[in-house]
Amino acid sequence: MTVFDRLDALFPPDRVITDPVRLRTYECDGLTYHRATPMVVVLPETTEEIAAVVRVCAEFGVPFVARGSGTGLSGGALPRSDGVLIVTSRMRRILSIDLDQRRAVVEPGVTNLAITEAVRDRGYYYAPDPSSQQICSIGGNVAENSGGAHCLKYGFTVNHVLALEIVTPEGEIIEISEDDFGYDLLGAFVGSEGTLGIATKITVRLMRAPESVTTLLAAFQTIEAGGQAVSAIIGAGIMPAAIEMMDALAIEAAEAAVACGYPAAAGAVLIVELDGPSSEVEAQLAEVIAICVGTGSFEQRVAASADERAKIWKGRKSAFAAVGRISPAYIVQDGVVPRTSLGEVLAGIDALQDEFGIRVANVFHAGDGNLHPLVLFDDTAPGEGERAEIVSGRILDLCILHGGSITGEHGVGVDKARYMPRMFTDDDLDTMQLLRCAFDPGGRSNPGKVFPTPRLCGEVPRVHKGSPGEIF
Amino acid sequence: MLGHTGVMIRDGGPLDAVGGVTPRWVAQPESVEEIAVVMGACADGGLAVTPAGGRTKLGWAAPPERVDVLLDLSSMHDVLEHVAGDLVVRVQAGIPVTRLAEVLAKAGQALALDVPFPDATIGGTLAAPSPGPRAFRYGNARDLLIGVTVVLADGTIARAGGKVVKNVAGYDLGKLFTGSYGTLGVIAEATFRLHPIPADRRWLSFECEGWEDAGDLLRSQLEPSAVEIDHPAEGLSTVAALFEGPAAEQRALAARELFEGGDVHTEAPAWWGQPPGSPLHSLRCRVAPSVPDGISVRGSLATGVYLASGSTDLDAWRSALPDHARLVGLSGDLTGDRWGPIPSLPLMRRVKERFDPERRMSPGRLAGGL
Amino acid sequence: MDPELIKDCVHCGFCLPTCPTYVLWGEEMDSPRGRIHLMAQYNEGAEMTPEMAGHFDACLGCMACVTACPSGVQYDKLIEHTRPVVEREHARTPRDRAVRALVFALFPYPRRLRLIKPFTRLNRRLAPFLDRVHPTLGALAELTPPRSRSRPLPPLVRARGPLRARVGLLTGCVQGAFFPDVNRATARVLALEGCDVVIPPGQGCCGALSLHSGYDAHRFARRTIETFEKAGVDTVVVNAAGCGSSMKDYADVLADDPGWQRRAECLKVRDLAEFLVELGPVAVRHPLPVTVAYHDACHLAHAQGVRSQPRELLDQIPELKVREIAESAICCGSAGTYNLFQPQPARELGERKAGRVEDTGADLLVSANPGCTMQITAAMRRMGRPVMPVAHTAQVLDASLRGLGAVR
Repeated sequence: MTVFDRLDALFPPDRVITDPVRLRTYECDGLTYHRATPMVVVLPETTEEIAAVVRVCAEFGVPFVARGSGTGLSGGALPRSDGVLIVTSRMRRILSIDLDQRRAVVEPGVTNLAITEAVRDRGYYYAPDPSSQQICSIGGNVAENSGGAHCLKYGFTVNHVLALEIVTPEGEIIEISEDDFGYDLLGAFVGSEGTLGIATKITVRLMRAPESVTTLLAAFQTIEAGGQAVSAIIGAGIMPAAIEMMDALAIEAAEAAVACGYPAAAGAVLIVELDGPSSEVEAQLAEVIAICVGTGSFEQRVAASADERAKIWKGRKSAFAAVGRISPAYIVQDGVVPRTSLGEVLAGIDALQDEFGIRVANVFHAGDGNLHPLVLFDDTAPGEGERAEIVSGRILDLCILHGGSITGEHGVGVDKARYMPRMFTDDDLDTMQLLRCAFDPGGRSNPGKVFPTPRLCGEVPRVHKGSPGEIF
Repeated sequence: MLGHTGVMIRDGGPLDAVGGVTPRWVAQPESVEEIAVVMGACADGGLAVTPAGGRTKLGWAAPPERVDVLLDLSSMHDVLEHVAGDLVVRVQAGIPVTRLAEVLAKAGQALALDVPFPDATIGGTLAAPSPGPRAFRYGNARDLLIGVTVVLADGTIARAGGKVVKNVAGYDLGKLFTGSYGTLGVIAEATFRLHPIPADRRWLSFECEGWEDAGDLLRSQLEPSAVEIDHPAEGLSTVAALFEGPAAEQRALAARELFEGGDVHTEAPAWWGQPPGSPLHSLRCRVAPSVPDGISVRGSLATGVYLASGSTDLDAWRSALPDHARLVGLSGDLTGDRWGPIPSLPLMRRVKERFDPERRMSPGRLAGGL
Repeated sequence: MDPELIKDCVHCGFCLPTCPTYVLWGEEMDSPRGRIHLMAQYNEGAEMTPEMAGHFDACLGCMACVTACPSGVQYDKLIEHTRPVVEREHARTPRDRAVRALVFALFPYPRRLRLIKPFTRLNRRLAPFLDRVHPTLGALAELTPPRSRSRPLPPLVRARGPLRARVGLLTGCVQGAFFPDVNRATARVLALEGCDVVIPPGQGCCGALSLHSGYDAHRFARRTIETFEKAGVDTVVVNAAGCGSSMKDYADVLADDPGWQRRAECLKVRDLAEFLVELGPVAVRHPLPVTVAYHDACHLAHAQGVRSQPRELLDQIPELKVREIAESAICCGSAGTYNLFQPQPARELGERKAGRVEDTGADLLVSANPGCTMQITAAMRRMGRPVMPVAHTAQVLDASLRGLGAVR
C-alpha cells in the first residue's frame, strides 16, 4: 500500500490529482517566487475526508499543507514536493447563519466576501476585509489571522472567530471555542499559518452594519504632512474605521491603471473612513477635516454616495496591481512600525532608495503603522533584482529597529522565516515550538513555514538543570 | 533552597494560601530576570509555583494540588513604556489595573477592560480573566493584549507579539497564556493596545420582569458599547446599556424610544460590572438561560457571558441549559462537577505537558488536573 | 501563447471567483490563473496532453476574468491564441470530430439554420435519444427554441422624424434564424430614434462562433467588413453580444494583413445599447408596468464592457423596475458553442443561473444575447420550473416606444 493507493480508496478519481501537468498549477500561491510541485493534491468535501487524509499522512509520515484559494503573499500554502496538498476550495458551504446571535458557521473554502454577501441585505457584515476579500478563503484568513483596511477599528480575524472545528495533525476532529474555560487555544490557533492543523468549520461573528459611512480623501504636499494629520486624528481621540495613505509614486501608478482622479500634484493622499451612528460620524468628520486643513492639506473631498466612496477606494485598492504599470517587476513588502515612528522610517526608506538606486512606492494602513512598500525593479536589468531584494530586507530591518514587526498581515510563511531570528530570540522561538509540538509532535503540518529550521519535537532545546533530560 | 537567588524570600502563611493551600515560601521578584532566577531555582528543587498579583482571584477555579512557592509579583508594578501617540502601553504584570488607569487617564487614554476588583493586577487579569460589560465593543483581555513576556517553569524567558497593534509574526503566546491560571508559566510583562477615553458616556437603564430580550437594541444601529442585565434572585431585573462618544446622550435617548422607557444617567448603575456575590459561577449562554431559584445573574445580553451567584447543583442547572451553554464553578462552595464539558481539553493537556512537563506550575487548578 | 502576455499575470487569484468552471469544480487548473499556468507550461515544453487540452476546452471564454483582473492580463487574447494550438495538436475522438464538423457546418450559415427549424419540435422529443448518441446532439436538440414566424426584413428601414444617423444592422445567424422578432424590434427602435437602418441582405456569419472555438474566422470577417462597407453606414449596430464582441476584434483577427486590418479599424461597431446611449433618447418612452431581471451577457459585459448602458435604457422606461441577478458576473454556460461541446458543465451553470434568475421574482428576463436566452430557458424547462418569459433589450424598448403597454 502506498499513500496514493490509500488516497485513491478515499476519494473519487476527480478529487485526487496526480497528473504532473495539473499538479504544477498548484506549485505556488500568491507569492510566485517560491515554487514546489506537490506530490499529490486532494480536494476534500467534508471534515471527515480531511481527517482521513491527515491520518493517512500520519501513518506514512508524509507532510501535508492546507490551501484555500492560494492568494497568500508569504508562501504559506507553498506545497511540499514530498507531501499532500489538501485544497479546501470545494468546501464552500455556509452551514448556518444566526442573525439573532450574530454568528455564522462556514466551511473553510468559503470566501471572505461571501459571508458578507450572504447577510448584507439584512444589514449585517463580516468585519475583517483583506484586499483579496472577494477570493481569499476564510480558512486561509484563519491560518494567517488576516486583517484589512478596516481592522484599525474592528480588529483582525482572531477578534472575529468565535469557534473552530479543527483536524489536528494527528487526524482528530476537535472543537476549540472561546467558551472553553482554560487556555485560549482558539487565539493561539488563529494565525498559526497552518502549522497546528486545519480548520474545517469556522464560526464567525457577524456585525450590524453601521448606520453611516463617510469617506474623506485629503491631499497633502508631502507625506510628512499626511503623517502629522494621522497622528493628530488619533491624538484627538477619534477612531476611524480606516486611515490609508499613498505616496506620490503610488498615486502615479494608480492613476495610470484606473484613472482614480486623485488631486494632481499631491505628494500624499490620505483616505479616512468614519463609520457608526450618523450623529457620531458627523461630529467626527468636521473634526477630521479641520485637522487635515490644520496640518496642511490643500484639498479635501468627502464621498457623498456609495459610488463616490467606491471611486475614492478604487485607487487605493488597485494600487498593488497598478504598480505593474509603472514598473516591470516589484516586491510587495509588509512591515509594521509604531505609528509615531512612521516619519523616521519613511525617511529611512527614502535613504535606501538613494543608496541603491531603487524606487519604492508606499501604500500603507497609516492608522496602525502597517507599511506596504512596493519595491520596484526591472527584472531584465542585471543586478537590479538583487538590489531590490536587499532594499526590501533593509526595510524590515528598519521596522524591527523601531520596535515594529516583520509582518502585519501577510504572514511569515516560507518567505520571512529567515527574518524571525531578527525579531525573536532562540528562547522565544523555542517556546513557540513547544506549542507546535503539543499540536504536531510529528512535524507534519505545513513544515518549513514560520520557523527557521525548527527543531524536532523530541530535541531538548537547551541544557537545563532541573528537568529530567529527555532523550528523544 | 531559594536563598542564593538574591530575590526577596519570606515564609508563607495562611494569608498567602491559594484556594486553601498554604505555600512554604513567598518570593517577591522585582524584574523579569529575578523571576527567571526564582523559577530556575524552583526547577532545581522540584518546587511547585503559583504566581500571584493582587490575590483577588486566588480562590477562583480549583485549588492547586501543591504550592511550594507563591510568586508574588506585586513589586513589579511599573509602567515600562507608554507612547501616547501609538496608543500602546507596556507594563510589568504586577501593576494594579486601577493604577494603570490613573496613568493612562492623564493622556486621555484607557485600557478598555472592566475589572471589578480594585486590587487586581494586569497579570492576574490575563491569567484569570473576568468578563466585563464593554467586552462587547472592545473585546476581552486577550483581544487587547498585543505582546507578552512569560517565564516558563524552567526559567526560560520568552517574548511573543510586540508593541505594534498589527503583527502576525510567530505564535501568539499571549493568547495561549490568557486564561491559563498560572499553569503554563508566569506572565511577567504585557503590552496592550489602548483606546481614547470617549468624549461622553450615557447609560440607559430600565427595570423589567424576568429575562429581557435586548434584540431590538442590538439590531439597531445605535452601537451600544455594552448591554448588561442584572437579574437578582428575587425581584425585578434591570437592563442597562452604555453609549460612548460625543453623541452618547442623543443615542441613549434614541434607545429609550426603542424600549419605550427607561432613564438616562451619566453614571453607571451600582451593580455595573460587579460580580453578583458568592459562590460565583461563570455562565456562557447565547439565549435567555433558565435560572434556578435563589440564583442571581449579571452579565452581557450582547455577548451571552455572565457571572452567577448562589448555591445550586451545577449538574442540575447544566442539564436545564441548552447544549451550547457552559457553566463553570468559579469560587466558593459548589455542588456537582465544577467544569462541565470542555471539548478542547485533550489539546490543553498536551500543551500543559509541553510547557510544564514536571507539573510544577499551579498543578491542578484547571479542568483535567492541568 | 505569447510569453509577454503570460508574464502580466501576477498569480493574485482575483479571477477565480468569476470563473464559471472554478465556481463549479474549485480546481486550480480549471481557473484562468491555472490555465495561464498551463499555457506557461506549454511554452516551457510541456506536451498538449488530453488533460491539458481538456482544461482549455472547458474554458467558456466568458471573459469575466478579464473584467476582474487588476493587472490587466489579456486573457481573451491568450485563450484565443491557445484554441488553435489545441485544435492543431490535440487529437479528438472521431465522434467528437464529426459532431464539431456538424456544428460548424450548421451554425455559421443562417440559411442552413433556417432549414432545420421546422424540425425543432421533433428535435426536442428526440433529445433523450440524441443525447445517447452524443451529448452535443442532445444539447443541440434541447436548446432549440420553439418555431417563430419569420418574415424577411426590408433592406432599408427609414428613420422616423429628423434623421440623426445612418446605421447598418447585423442580423446574426442564431438571432436571425431563431429570434427574428428581435431584429425587427431592433430596427424599429433605431428608426424611432431617428436612424436610417440598412439591413444588407445576404449577410453571413460574423465569424464569432469560429473565432471563439479556435477555428479560422478570416473569411467570415472579411466578408462582413465588405458587406457593411458597401452599405455606406456610419456605424454597424449589433444586437447579439457574441457577434458584437468578435466584430470589435476584427482588427486583431486580421492583423496579419495590414490592408484588411486598416479596413477593420475603419468599421465602427457598436452594441445596440451602447449606441442608443451614445445617441441619446429622443423618442417618447411609454410606461411598461413590469419587473425585469437583467442578465449580463458575458460577451457584452466582460468582452465589450457594456454594463451600465442597458440598465440605463431600461431605467428610462416609466413604471419598469429592474432587478439585479445575484452572481451576475458568472456565465450562464451558453458561451457560443460551449453548451454544445461541454454540455454537462453548461447544464450545471445554466441551472445555477436559472435559480438566481428565479430568485429575483421578476416577471421577465431581459438579455442581449440569443444564446443566453436559449440556455437559461432550457435550464428552466429541464428543472421542471415555469419558464420565465424572455425578451431582448430591444424588444422591451420597442414595446415602450410604441406604447404597447406590455412586452409582446
